[in-house]
Amino acid sequence: MAGSAAVLEDSSLLSRLDRALLPIERFGALLSGLAIFSLMFLAAYSVTGRKFFASPLPGYVDYIEAAMPIIAIMGVSYVQRDGTHVRMDMLVSALRGRVLWFFELISVLLILLLITALTWGAWEHFDRSFDCARPLCSRDSSIDIGLPIWPSKLVVPIAFGILTLRLLLQAWGYGRALILGLENPVAVPLNLSVAEQARIEAEALEGTD
Amino acid sequence: TFALEAAATEWNVSVWGKRRAFTEHVEKLAELVAEKTGGDFTMNVSYGGLSKNRENLDGISIGAFEMAQFCAGYHADKNRVVTVLELPFLGVENLEQEVAVARAVYAHPAATEEMAQWNAKLLMTSPMPQYNLVGTGEPRDELAEFKGMRVRATGGLGKAFEAVGGVPTSVTATEAYQAMEGGVVDTVAFAQHAHLSFGTINQADWWTANLNPGTVNCPVVVNIDAYDSLSDEHRAALDASIPEAIEHYLTNYAELLERWDSVLAEKGVEKVEVAPEVIAEFQAVAGKPIHDAWIADMEAQGLPGQELYDLVVSTLADAKGGS
Amino acid sequence: MEPIEIGLWVSGGLLVFVLLGMRVAFAAGLAGFVGLVWLRWNGFDYDPERFWKAVEISVKVAGLTPHSKVSAQVLSLIPVFILIGYLAYHAQLTTALFTAAKRWVAWVPGGLAVATVFSTAGFAAVSGASVATAAVFARIAIPEMLKIGYNKQFAAGVVAAGGTLASLIPPSAILVIYAIIVEQDVGKLLLAGFVPGAFSAIVYAALIIGIAMVFKTVGPPVTGFTWRERFQSLPPAMPIFAVVIIIIFFVYNPFGDAWGTPTEGGAIGAFIIFLMALYKGMRWGELKRALLDTAKLTVMIFTIIWGVLIYVRFLGFAELPAAFSDWITSLEMSPMLILIFILLGYAVLGMFMDAIGMLLLTLPVVYPAVMALNGGEFVSAADSAFGMSGPMCAIWFGILVVKMAEFCLITPPIGLNCFVVAGVRDDLTVQDVFKGVTPFFIADAATIAMLVAFPGIVLWLPSLAG
Ligand code: NA
Ligand code: NA
Repeated sequence: MAGSAAVLEDSSLLSRLDRALLPIERFGALLSGLAIFSLMFLAAYSVTGRKFFASPLPGYVDYIEAAMPIIAIMGVSYVQRDGTHVRMDMLVSALRGRVLWFFELISVLLILLLITALTWGAWEHFDRSFDCARPLCSRDSSIDIGLPIWPSKLVVPIAFGILTLRLLLQAWGYGRALILGLENPVAVPLNLSVAEQARIEAEALEGTD
Repeated sequence: TFALEAAATEWNVSVWGKRRAFTEHVEKLAELVAEKTGGDFTMNVSYGGLSKNRENLDGISIGAFEMAQFCAGYHADKNRVVTVLELPFLGVENLEQEVAVARAVYAHPAATEEMAQWNAKLLMTSPMPQYNLVGTGEPRDELAEFKGMRVRATGGLGKAFEAVGGVPTSVTATEAYQAMEGGVVDTVAFAQHAHLSFGTINQADWWTANLNPGTVNCPVVVNIDAYDSLSDEHRAALDASIPEAIEHYLTNYAELLERWDSVLAEKGVEKVEVAPEVIAEFQAVAGKPIHDAWIADMEAQGLPGQELYDLVVSTLADAKGGS
Repeated sequence: MEPIEIGLWVSGGLLVFVLLGMRVAFAAGLAGFVGLVWLRWNGFDYDPERFWKAVEISVKVAGLTPHSKVSAQVLSLIPVFILIGYLAYHAQLTTALFTAAKRWVAWVPGGLAVATVFSTAGFAAVSGASVATAAVFARIAIPEMLKIGYNKQFAAGVVAAGGTLASLIPPSAILVIYAIIVEQDVGKLLLAGFVPGAFSAIVYAALIIGIAMVFKTVGPPVTGFTWRERFQSLPPAMPIFAVVIIIIFFVYNPFGDAWGTPTEGGAIGAFIIFLMALYKGMRWGELKRALLDTAKLTVMIFTIIWGVLIYVRFLGFAELPAAFSDWITSLEMSPMLILIFILLGYAVLGMFMDAIGMLLLTLPVVYPAVMALNGGEFVSAADSAFGMSGPMCAIWFGILVVKMAEFCLITPPIGLNCFVVAGVRDDLTVQDVFKGVTPFFIADAATIAMLVAFPGIVLWLPSLAG
């Protein structure tokens, strides 16, 4: 859902890094949105060509598959920044102060562990399909029109790389809050109750009118 | 002295879809190997549980599983050498000839070397008959009717239809039925077992009995490290079971082909005989020119394209002479 | 250790992490990754020297999953449907619908509430997300109902319940996700949603009319609209009908071959609504905002998809789904009773969990078991336990679980739609909305019972499509 960020800012180094990363993340999400928008035109074009001009678009499926990683993954860090990824917050929303920051820190560190592993694995997946001794550096190609697949595979480690940076900042933010016993730390998504969250979602929808 | 206890070996095998004629040699291989080793060497055949079919070669390379099946046309750049077997209009007439040419190509150093880059060793082929078309509506039995036709055909077959104005549109085998129904594709090129197993025959109004444009090549490979680390006894059991597994596959497929005409009759599917001059015309555009283009492309990439092509031609001639 | 045991331990661990509040997508991905390492190292007999080899293989298997799993053409349906929902908002289709529904049906007892239900059902046909529908109609419909003397709680309940229709009536993100997880025909599932969705709307409307005739809490009929006014209200709402017809014809054309894939139908629908939104004054600023919001929701859903699929990959290696199916089919209970227990399980789980997360986490194990209960994936209707073929059972169960997921949107303690309605309206507490939604809660339970007892309601339309 459309959630506006519940991330506080100040003049600290951490907050400045947070805000430096944000435009990159937003750009990733916008790329995803634009890819979805293009998908709409591509499908409309393909149907029209096929139905009315008996000239279907060759490689239609290949193009869509190539675009999917951008659509599905490029914005992953933008969504992590303000805590939009789904979770069950019955327990977490009952916690306050240091206990809460401790839970959040552990959680972020575990995610960091996962994403570090996935960044490595996704890079390997890209690397297996990439060989510049070959035409177009391609060692894996799409099924209909033989598009090289490595560019689409490269999207994943890039997106995960950005997410790794985001998670490092969040780990720092929660760690700092834990040590200093902060009330409202910067650079991390603050917990909203379900009701507060719902209000923000509704307002965001209104705000676009 | 003490006897070394032979460790039990358990292999994971990644295939896809459901059990069908196309996977019978894999199932048979698992059965034979277990039998020969007294249950010490077992294979779990997984239908899609371990990997997506287009990532089976990646899985082998990683060592995620020990054995897998894939089709060359899914990703030509991963396996350029074996795509020679998917060239249209090679003139393969039956599954025995298909086995012979595949065996020759798989044994060629260029094939072994390219597969070794994926840590894979070519074990056996999954011989497939010619991929004839099923379609709906009026039979397409003239070249002009292939223009603008969206056809589910991969690899060299796709290229062949492209050469006469068709548009290869790949949907997965499991989606082929829906794609035909939804008009995403007009025709589907499959082997007979797949027309049965994926239900495309139920959508069809007609089937080309003699277009015989070519087929696909789907090898079964093993992870080299896993193969090398087998005990001598287990490796011998595996190697010795391959001819028997292929034999079983061929027998099974022959039975299926025998039933085929009655299936067509039962489903009310028209058996279309394409005129010889139409086939000759098709072949003139999609045969030699595509073969030449393939050879040139491979040679440009430093692969022995001509040699591989000649190997197929000569092996095929031998197989035909021998039978 | 047996792979199955590892499968159970890791699944238990996943449940704990989800309960502790870890993001569902990452908890599932982590469980899958850790499970893969454990399983592999177990295969190496916990040889310390081969631990890193186990890690390396697992990293590579897990690492290829996100790209591999999202690169599928059918998945492109999800972002397209989400885009339609956001664009529909800018095309001002919500108000247009409510106005049209009001002028056409508000003359019945409880008229405005009935009009609200039908306009949420109509908006459901362009929106894939229930919560958004509830939020929008809380703004439009509640004030009008209050103006003519509706009970505040009841008015809120109508909107919260009406909002749930979006996930059953296509386009529906949840149905697409179900189809992908269970590898069934997306088009048929979408078709299957129409009748039960409309059925739910009619049950709601009947309930409102009944209540309006008995109690005074519901406002009077609203009459006095001329035929001229009625017909004038139709054109602004027209794109909705266009989109519905297009999507149906792309999936199933009663007069011949279908026009294409559901994705293409969705894309054409999105295009029409995009033009409408432009006409209504949407400019680059609003479009950019809509695209960012679409991307955000899309990424959120896809993250759960690939995260859960890493876990599913691990389950495949651990052979857990097969073992669970064997266990379920070996129970000495009638298949129908087991199915009812499974649905009740979803009702409980849904009280605490997000619908998409819930379905994704449970279906890989539960779905094969339900199919096995019916007699297997390829069973014929005659030999099956539920009297339907394998593919039909897949569709029926899909609609049942999605209806369960909707049901959970209005059940306490975390009925998200109720929170959203309360969040939009300053004058309503969450308790108010839960109170008002109670009759609909009962209506939903009755609807689900009907869908279980009479599968024909679900299966009629998809069976026409072959
Ligand atoms: Na909907
Ligand atoms: Na709930």
